[in-house]
Order: sequence, then C-alpha cells, then structure tokens
Amino acid sequence: MKLRSNVNARPLSVTLVVLAMVVAACTGDTTDTTGGADTTDGGEATTTTGETTDTTAPTTGGVSNPDTFVHAADDEPTSLDPAQVEAGEGGETVILQVFDRLVEFSPEGPDLVPGLAEEVPSADNGLISADGLTYTFPIRAGVVDHLGNPVDATDVRFSWDRVLTMDLPESNVGLLADNVASTEAPDAETFVVTLNQPNAAFLNSVVTQSVASIMSEEFVEANGGVAAGQPNEFIATNPVGTGPYVFEAWNRGENMLFTVNEDYWGTPANLDLRIEIVPDPDVRVLGVRAGDYDTIETDPSFVGEVEGAEGVTVFQGEFLLEPIHIGLNLNFPADQLPDTDTIPADFFNDPRIRQAFNYAFDYNAFINGALGGFGAPTPFYLPQGVLGYSEDLPVYEQDLASAEELFREAGVWDEGFTISVIAEQANLFEVAALVLKDSLEGLNPNFSVQVLAVAEAQFDEAFASDPLPYAMWVKNADPFADPHAFMNEYIHPDGNWGQVHGFRNGYQDADQIASMIDEASIITDPDEREAIYQELSALLYEDPMWIIAGNEVAVMAHRDWVQGFVMNPLWPRPSLKFALFDKG
Amino acid sequence: MAVEPAVREPAVAFAGGLGIRLRRFGEISREVLRNPTTLIGLILIVGMIGMAVFAPLLIEPNTPNPNQMPRDWGALNEPPGTPGHVLGTTQQGGDVLYGVIWGARTSLRLSLIVVSLTVVIGLIVGSLAGFLGGRLDELLMRLVDVFLSIPELIFALAIAAVLGPSFGNIILALAAVFWVKYARIIRGQVIHIKQNEYVDAARVIGDSGFRIYMKDVLPNSITPVIVQATLDMGNVVLIGATLSFIGLAEAGLAEWGVLVSQGQAGISAGRWWASTFPGLMVFLWALAFNLVGDGLRDILDPRTESRR
Amino acid sequence: MQIRDYVLRRLMVLPVLIIGTSLIVFTLTRVGGSPIAIYLSHEMTPEEVAEIEERYGLDEPLPVQYLTWAGGMLTGDWGWSGVAAAPVRQVFPNKLGATLELAVAAGIVAVAMGIGLGTYGGSRRDRLPDHLTRVFSISGAAMPIFWFGILLLIVFWVGLGWAPIGRSNADVFSSITHPTGLYIIDALLAGNWTALVDAIWHLLLPAVTLGFGTTALIARMMRSSLVETLSEEYVDAARAKGLPEKLVLRRHARRNALIPTVTVIGLSFGFLLQGTVVVEIIFRWPGLGRWMADAVLRGDQATIMAYVMFTSVLFLLVNLAVDVMYAYLDRRVVLGS
Repeated sequence: MKLRSNVNARPLSVTLVVLAMVVAACTGDTTDTTGGADTTDGGEATTTTGETTDTTAPTTGGVSNPDTFVHAADDEPTSLDPAQVEAGEGGETVILQVFDRLVEFSPEGPDLVPGLAEEVPSADNGLISADGLTYTFPIRAGVVDHLGNPVDATDVRFSWDRVLTMDLPESNVGLLADNVASTEAPDAETFVVTLNQPNAAFLNSVVTQSVASIMSEEFVEANGGVAAGQPNEFIATNPVGTGPYVFEAWNRGENMLFTVNEDYWGTPANLDLRIEIVPDPDVRVLGVRAGDYDTIETDPSFVGEVEGAEGVTVFQGEFLLEPIHIGLNLNFPADQLPDTDTIPADFFNDPRIRQAFNYAFDYNAFINGALGGFGAPTPFYLPQGVLGYSEDLPVYEQDLASAEELFREAGVWDEGFTISVIAEQANLFEVAALVLKDSLEGLNPNFSVQVLAVAEAQFDEAFASDPLPYAMWVKNADPFADPHAFMNEYIHPDGNWGQVHGFRNGYQDADQIASMIDEASIITDPDEREAIYQELSALLYEDPMWIIAGNEVAVMAHRDWVQGFVMNPLWPRPSLKFALFDKG
Repeated sequence: MAVEPAVREPAVAFAGGLGIRLRRFGEISREVLRNPTTLIGLILIVGMIGMAVFAPLLIEPNTPNPNQMPRDWGALNEPPGTPGHVLGTTQQGGDVLYGVIWGARTSLRLSLIVVSLTVVIGLIVGSLAGFLGGRLDELLMRLVDVFLSIPELIFALAIAAVLGPSFGNIILALAAVFWVKYARIIRGQVIHIKQNEYVDAARVIGDSGFRIYMKDVLPNSITPVIVQATLDMGNVVLIGATLSFIGLAEAGLAEWGVLVSQGQAGISAGRWWASTFPGLMVFLWALAFNLVGDGLRDILDPRTESRR
Repeated sequence: MQIRDYVLRRLMVLPVLIIGTSLIVFTLTRVGGSPIAIYLSHEMTPEEVAEIEERYGLDEPLPVQYLTWAGGMLTGDWGWSGVAAAPVRQVFPNKLGATLELAVAAGIVAVAMGIGLGTYGGSRRDRLPDHLTRVFSISGAAMPIFWFGILLLIVFWVGLGWAPIGRSNADVFSSITHPTGLYIIDALLAGNWTALVDAIWHLLLPAVTLGFGTTALIARMMRSSLVETLSEEYVDAARAKGLPEKLVLRRHARRNALIPTVTVIGLSFGFLLQGTVVVEIIFRWPGLGRWMADAVLRGDQATIMAYVMFTSVLFLLVNLAVDVMYAYLDRRVVLGS
C-alpha cells in the first residue's frame, strides 16, 4: 500500500510504556492491611505489596533469617476471627499463635495444660461439678492483650458470647451452641460454664478449639463491636489476642508477619514469625532445600523429594486425626442422582453391599501409592491416637474374593451397576476416588464408577445440601481429640451425618449403636469408655457406613537448624506452635 | 464495527462448471505440494490424524474407558526408557506414550466437532445477516462485535468455568467463541455478492435467492472459510489444551493439556517427561495446521490480510 | 472530517458494546454457574447456606442482581473475591501492576526482536535467513505458551539454576518503597541497584515466554510488508537514483513497512493479555492472570466477572485506538459500513 513517506509511526511500545506509567500512578498507593489501620485508602505506600520469594541454589552453612522463623503454608486463610473461621481452614493456625484459650493441648499429646485458666478442671480438683454440668475456670491474673487491654473472666465470657451472638454460618459456633447452656463471670478471676448435658469431651473438643479463643472486650468494642449475623471485617484481618505472637501484617497471597509478644504471661517466643503462602508444593520443596523456609507444609506424596536433602530432616510424627473416607449415602432420592447412575434408592441399605465395597477397595494402592507409605488403615471410627484405638481392632483389607461373594449374594454381580462418586479435584480425595474406581471396575467389568472431580467450591455447595444428591463422596474427617466426637459425628444414627445420610435405614441395630455412643459420652472412667468403644468398633466392622481409605501420618520437612521441633496433630494444621522453636 | 479493507474479488472464482472446479482443485493441490513448508505441514497432519484414527491398533486401549489414562499405582513417575513405558509414566502411573497417542484422538474429536459446529453456526448467522440486512443484520453484527470484544481465551475460560470441568463443556465453550469469524466471512461475501452485477442479472433471469446462494455465495465463500477452518483445526486444539492445562477438563482424561498440567508438579524434581512429550504434540498439531492453512491462504488469496 | 465522524461513531457505540458484554458476562456466570459456592464451607446446613445467600444479595431476583452488580462496577464496588478473601477492588491494583509490568516487558521484547528479525528476513528475501525467519514466525503462532514456558523452566530453572521464579526476592522487594506498583520503575526511582537487578532477573523468563508468540507475529508482518514495500516503484526509483541499498532500506522501505506492523503490534495486545493467564500460572507471577485462573477453578464469580469486564473494556479501547490509527494512516480504507 502506498503511503506518504513523511508519516512516521512510532512503535506502539513507547505509547504502551507511557500508558503504563500513567496507569501505574493510579495503582501506586496500594496498601495492605497492617495492624491498627482502619481503612485501606489514603494510607502511604507500604513497604511490601508482597511478592513470592524466589528460590535459587541452596545455601551452604549458616542459618538463614536468624531472627525470624519462616514457615511455608499451602493455603491462605479467609478470616482470622475466631468467630468466623471454619474448622480446618488456614486461619486456625494464626489463631493458634495469636490467641489463647482456657486450656490447651500439651505439646506431647492429648493431655491438657492450663492456658488462660490457671488449672485444668477435673472431677478430682472439684472444678467439674459432680453432675458433670458445671465447669469452673480460675482465670490467670494480670493478663493483657497485644494492645495493652487487660483480659479477665469478663472478657472470656464476652468472647464466647460474641461468637454465639454473631452466629456466623461459616464458623464453628455449633460447638459452643450445642453444648453451652450458660456462661457466667461472678468475679474477674472466675469463669463458670454450665452445659446442656454432661459431655466427657467438653474440655478437649470445645474449650481447646479456635472458636473458644479469648479476646478483650475493649478491643472488640473499639473496632466494630458485635452484630448478630454480621462478620466483623476489621477483626477478620487484624486479630489481637493474648498469645505469644503479635499479628503485624497480612500481605495477601504472599505472607503474614508476626512479632514476639514480649509481655506474654507464659514463656515468650524466641523468634519473630513469617508465614509464607506457597500453594505450589515444588516451590516449598525447593524453598526448604535452599534454606528460605524453616518448615514447610509437607504432603506425603513428595516426602521423597526432600528426604536426604542436605540440611533437611523429615519429621514423622503421629497420625493425623483426619482419616480420608468415602461416604455411603442411604438417603438419596433416586431421581436426584446423576443420570448415569443405575442404583436403586436402597442400594446401600444392604450391609453386604457396604461390606463388599470395603473389601473391594485397594488400600495398598492408596496408602503406598498416593500416601507414599505414610499412612495406615483405620478402624471404625477410631483413628490412631484417640482413646479406644488399638492395633487389634478389625480393619478391612482388600479381599476381592469376599467382595465378589458378597456382591453375588446381594444379587448385583451379574447385572452390575453404575454409580457416581463426587470429590474435590486435584488432591488426595480425587486420588482416593480414582482408586475406588479402579478397584471396582477391575473387579467386575459391569461395575462402573463415575468420578466427579469438582472444584472445592462446587463440592462444598453440593455437600451443604440435605439430602446429598450423590451416592458416594470423598472427604476427610474433621480432627477431634475425643472418640465421642468422631462417633457422634460419623457413626451415630441420629448424629449429623447419621440423619442426613439415613443411617437408620441401614444399621442392623441402630438403637444399640446409639445407646453405646451415648453411654460412653457420659462415663468419665477412661477404661470403661475404651471398652465400649472397642466393642462398638467391632460391631461397626460388620455394619460399615464408610470406606476409610486411610489415615495419614503427620510428616513435616524442616531444616536441621530448627530446635525444639514438635508436632501435635491435635493442634490445627500444620500442628505447630512456633513459639516453641528456636534456630541455631 | 471494525474497519475492514475494501472487500476484494476472490482471487479464485469458483463460479463455473464442475469441470473447471476440478481442474482448479488440481492446480491448487499441486501448488500446495510444491511449497516445502506447506508440504511438511501436510505430512504432519497425515501423521497425527493417522495416529488418532489408528490409536487402538497402535496401543492397547484402556478399559473400560479408553479416553481415560490407565493408572498403574505401582509404577509412579517412571522415567522414559523403563520397560513397558517408552516415554515414562505420570504421577498417577499413566503411560505417557498412551497419553500422546490417545490424546491425538481426543484432539481430533475436539477439533472436528468444534470446527464443524462453528462453520455451520457461522454460515447460518452470516447468511441471515447478509441476505436479510436491515435491523436483523445490525443486531446480529452487534452481537458479533460484543463477542469479539472479549478476548478469545478469556471468554472460553469463563464459559468453561461456569459450565463445569468436562470435555463436553470445553467443546461448547470453544464453539461459542469461534463461530463469529465465520459469520463475518459469510456475511461479507453475501453483501459483496448482493452488490455485484451478475446477481442482478441472475435475478432478471429469474433465479431464486436460494439458487443465487448456492451457485454464487457459497462457492465464493468457500475459500476464506476453508483457510479459516484449517487454521482453526489447529487453534481449537491449542486453546482447548490451554483450557485443560488451567484445569477445566475432567479428571484422568487422556488429553495433552491435562497431561502437561499434571506433569508440571514434577519439574522441580527433574521429571521433565510427563510435560514435555504431550506439550510437544500440541505444538506439532497446531504447527501442522497453521503451516497448511497459511500455505492455502497464500495460494488461494495471496493479497488478503487477515486482521485477527 | 471523515475520521472525526468515524471516531465519534465508534465512541458512541462503545457503551452499547460494554453493556452488551456485561449482560453476557452476568448471564453466563449467574445463570450458568453457582455464585454462592465459593462462599460456602462443607459443614453448612441449608439454613446456613440461606444466610450466606442473603449476605451477598444472591436471593434477589436476577434483574435486581444485575443492576446491583453493574451499579457496583461503576461506583467502585466490585464485589467480594472468595479466592482473595477481600474486596475485588482492594486486591486489583496490586495484581494489575504485576501483570502490566509483565505484559509491557513482553511487548518490548516482542517489538524489538520482531522488528529486528522481520527486517533481517525481509531484506534477504527467499534466502536462508528469510526461510529461518518464516519457520520461526510460524512456530510462534503455533507454540503453546504453557509448553514453551515449562520448557524454559526445565532448562533455565531446574537444569541450569539460573533463573528464579516468582516476581522477586521477598527481602529485596521489601527494602524499597513502591509508589508505582511496577517493580522496575520503583527500583529506578529508589536508585536501588540490587532491586533493579532483582526485578529484571525475575522478569526475564516470563517476558520472553509471553512475548514469543507476539515476536513471531510481528516478525512475520514486518517481513512481508518489508518485502512488499521493497518492490514498490518509488523504491526502484530510489535505487535507480543510485542510493545505496542500506539507505533505501532505512529511509523508505522500513518506515512504510512499519505501518501495518504498528497495527499488528496493537492487535498483539489481545494476544499478550490472554497469554498472561498461562504465563503467570507457570512462573508463579502474582498478577491478574493467575488470580483469574484461581477464580475460574474455584468458582469465584465476583473475580471472574470483574476480570472479564476489565479485559474486555481494555480490549475494546485498544482496538478502537488501533482502528483509528489505521484509518488515519491509510486513507483509502473504507470507514465503517
């Protein structure tokens, strides 16, 4: 095309650069939340808009970041407010460091140690009433929060009441709401709780949990107060508690910064804390090898990458208390299942079918393949580490002959069936679903298992429906310290899952199971309870409502220079209290 | 409305008898074969389509669903050269060679379905807009403009995201995005022909609109449509693999994008094979169709400049 | 003047297109998917789900929801991002800065290398450099960005250990202030050499990956229009006058070959924009693209809608600018229909 030759077209790149600078001037004053700021505009530019750390060649010799402990987490919290955080969600670990509760789990195990309460209530010291309904907590004197506000029994009551008033659907308020009848603070150093019914698991299943964390009333009132049904946006991003770490900053998508609480009532932390948010496992691996991270959220599947690396140790601890299980639904309207499913509504009512599924599953493939050997089968429903667990309890192993026999007896062998299982995509749950699929389809070509691996959000949404429109699903259990919590949640015919999934339709003797669970919850003698739970477990082996794919072992890769390393699976993931560590 | 260069006469006039058309086809084929880069493209296409069609003969199909990767939980992350796994295995024990071969089949299905759908839809919409003109034309072209204002990949991404992760939804998403080009091409041809003299002459003779359409519009449109369709055969797979890579395909599918995505995690550990081989296939597929498409464009419409 | 009319006409159509796009985006996400899913946790009862619905206004009738959302877009309330757990508007500027830096860097790489390669090939027509340029160009169009990026990572990150991933070293990054949100500019303003090196070092691989396809496109365009121009009459005249070949090239041919190239550069914008999604995933770049990818996988509709609207409006504006420039430069072109 002919053009006048005096046209001089400048490359568009220059224009783009100029444009960029203009736009940048508008994007420039971005701020991230820092402790104490109330709005995000008008602030000066922060020092970090936050970027991912780079990872290059590993360091040799010398401790990196000698004043700060750096942990690489795999996900980011959505809220740091105890009244809003979900169970098992990233915010819980921050709450663990920043807040205190009345009693805590000791680093070594399920024993309880005093927190803001000076003594752990028990029947012996009289702080638990004879009828098991009243708990009295003597509160430590002289405790202040990170802003200097004094914290006493009235603040404890305030904190718990606040959770109940806000009653946020995403929170764990149910723990308090289901158990607590009333709370009182007769004086500044005494806090009294009255329960709805006796519960031997109250202390370790409720009082130690994030939702029961304590903050000062003055702090809350000065920052948005309490409103029923409304989240408090300020506290969700600026937690202020009494714990060993003071929250400093949250650089979204990048990291969270904490400093040592010098005025902590207990043993102060040794180092400042930085929690890096690193969703990519290989970046975490490279980071710990390079010394950029001191501890990393470790998945059993990549332990092999770090094992033997210079300067890195892989700690193998107790089992996590979150067995990965596949649920069986006895309460679905047959017309609501995916179109491809051919099973009748009462498919899982027959215990032989449920047993057959349990026999068919390839536990080996899952535990040694997906979990890299860092796991074990689990009896119903007593994960390793809780009262009642014993190696002698019956667990399912893959037994294809028995599975076939049971399927034939139940009359589904020749015709076969198609069934769907829903799971979250791109994680262990999807893998468990695929193992189930391969196990069943390999057993009989007439069996077909459709794996619906969906985004977490979609899974959560489906899961929140009652009844659940899927015959099977994969998830892990929520971690509890007490066998009653597991049994009540996952086994009891009238418990949460029992009702939603129609356990009464399938249990051979639902009342017997219910009464055993109820009985064990009020007995205080641990040996008696243990006996009941073990009998229960044997019964459940014959009448399973789940397929437990396996229970993971707690593993964590950390640098050799970390001192005092200890993990307690009863603490929220990653099960670490950073205040206990040192480097050198 | 985007600016278009003055519509040029198609360099190839397909109007005329069947004999002329066959001869012209022969001429074009010879030209295609003479150009080295186009020839390479053609060979690649034949090779990959062959691989796709003969997949069950080349490698044992997985049961019960051959479109799913076989999983061998005892052979995770094997490097290439391991007995039984020439190209290695993935982190779920899937044979990379299987993924390469059956991925071709998946890609062929994807591209054929999407291109057919989009050509047909584009044909219908473009013809309606061009022939009927007036308000309908304006409305449809506005719609086309709106569709064009959202960048392709992002639009397909959003559609596949809301529909849910599955192969079928990727097909839908791509079809929803790719049809606009054909609508424009056809409409442009229709309008051009409408303005042209021999249509008036044909009308005088008494030819109905439909005959004009079949005799003049369609044959003249074929050229740019063929060029675009050839290019799209490549680009559909390219964008489809990108969508799968981001995570919008179903679990365990034997598809190149899915495999590259899965293989990513192992890279820092030195496991390069699970990503490299499937990704190479995507490249070769897109390259092949682009080479042939470009060659065709040069031969059939040497002075046309494509704007997108 | 024709051009002014043309521009005015295009500008008047712009709001219509934007509204049309917003309708499509809204319908797509609200009707096709589930907006509430991202805000749920797996423990919720149906009653709790209803509470969440109310909180985010998802129980209103659809037209009301659309107006609320559209109104919010115009006034600055872009919704709550489930993925980032923060208002979309708050998170946006940070990520925009990161993506912008990447896109501009890639653009610079593409333009510089594209024009250079195109000139090199076009001026030695049909000889080896020309063929190589052609092969390179076509590879660029067919190259899957995600594969190219992973290859580069394998070679340079894992293999040679040269290049880092991510945008910066956290300590270096936090050692300077960030008035513009663009790391390189901020480092220059602060006069901090370490930070500048850190910024460029991290930017290198992603920018090359992102720019590769565009480089090929520009090289191609440059080459073919250079070839065409070189055969024009006035170039022959210049040659006949006795001007050295190099001067012919520099003074006449190249400048005129630049014009269609400029158009292509503008069009590459769309290509670059889309490429950022994949490049940011692979190189762990904390920009808009990666955010969108997360949002897509996790059903975060607020983010998806905001991102699609933002990119579409940007795309529309750039296309308009390009078309106007094109119309200005080539007066023979038919303006509109």
